[in-house]
Amino acid sequence: MIMVKFGVEFVPKEAYWKTVYYAIQSEKRGFDNLWITDHYNNRNVYVTLAATAMYTKKIVFGPGVTNPFLVNPIMTTQSLATLDELAPGRVVLGMGAGDKTTLASTGIEANKQLSAVVDAITIFKKMLEGKSVNYEGNVFKVSGTKFNFKPRGQIPVYIGAQGPKMLATAGKIGDGVLINASHPKDVDYAVSQIKKGVDEAGKNMSDVDVTAYTSFSVHKKLDKAMQAASPVVAFIVAGSPDIILERHGLEMEKANAIRAGLKKGDFGAAFGSVTPKMIEAFSIAGTPDICNEKIARLLKSGITQFVVGSPIGPNVRNSIDLISEQVIPNFKQ
Amino acid sequence: MVYKKIVKMIPVEKRETLSDKLLNYLLKTKKEAKMPSSMANCFLTQWQTSTFDDEAGLAVLLEATATVELEKTTEFVEKDLQLADVAKAIKEAAA
Repeated sequence: MIMVKFGVEFVPKEAYWKTVYYAIQSEKRGFDNLWITDHYNNRNVYVTLAATAMYTKKIVFGPGVTNPFLVNPIMTTQSLATLDELAPGRVVLGMGAGDKTTLASTGIEANKQLSAVVDAITIFKKMLEGKSVNYEGNVFKVSGTKFNFKPRGQIPVYIGAQGPKMLATAGKIGDGVLINASHPKDVDYAVSQIKKGVDEAGKNMSDVDVTAYTSFSVHKKLDKAMQAASPVVAFIVAGSPDIILERHGLEMEKANAIRAGLKKGDFGAAFGSVTPKMIEAFSIAGTPDICNEKIARLLKSGITQFVVGSPIGPNVRNSIDLISEQVIPNFKQ
Repeated sequence: MVYKKIVKMIPVEKRETLSDKLLNYLLKTKKEAKMPSSMANCFLTQWQTSTFDDEAGLAVLLEATATVELEKTTEFVEKDLQLADVAKAIKEAAA
């Protein structure tokens, strides 16, 4: 029996009590990890996580992912250290470079992304030691920075990565890597890059929680699962570089139709242009049996945590129950 | 207290169906602002410590759903569950 951790991702776009309801449900239904996305245009990730901490007992949680451009690394460290007091030993950090398009709308130029992430994680780890920190990185510099309280200790760091350099860096300095991919081709490639960083650091792959952070949709009826996945896949296609689309043999004409539809706000046209091949490339969608097969394939790539991300299914509550009953038991002892 | 009395009026065999439907109404509602935070916290505490299938849980859920989605709640109780007296009691409690 293969052992893998199961995580779940929620986007806090609705009232806090809905997200916390799903968090409690996920814990009750056997999920190990909970990731809350961090976007300025949704509810605040740390307020949501604090509420989650108060209503759960064992699920491990963290931002999935924050970025150093919108939230200064010192504030990220302060937030996580405080959360670690609310839920000792259950907190992890998910850190990535952020989405350039979203950041651009806030007036932030996300330059030197790799350096910014490395600097942020270095500052995070040093500040959690509870000592005065002096650090001069390529993007962030701190001088004599110290908390007036003693953090409980180190908090595991997961790095959200897609490109080869970020993936290798994640393997080198991270406790975990969040691979934003659902297809074996992409996950295999990511794992090979992570291994380069792991080797460089003289670590073992078993030192890193290799996490497939997927777009997931499950329903007893295939068409309903696919339909629910379409909007999320449309956004993934629109934001993917052409090289990724070509890797999966996707039609550029259709991809451009999606991009144009989303740009005009014509969501019907955009979502309607999503093809089954696109859903296959960028999500795990289907009946529980189909999802089980796809997860099993990803496990062969070497992943140690599987995250069910948006949309999860046409009805989130029912899909969490379905995953708990017909998916997780196949991968847990 | 009022809602606990209302729950007692609902036949046991219809409670699971009602609980499932009410949760869907609540989790899919766009009228989130109608939910007072004290009620939301009560709802979450109930879910954390128990379920919404028993009498106490269903009372908490019914009160929350009647606050946020009164029309849908009473329509389902009256038309689908055929419990006109219960629907009337919910309307009076929510008024």
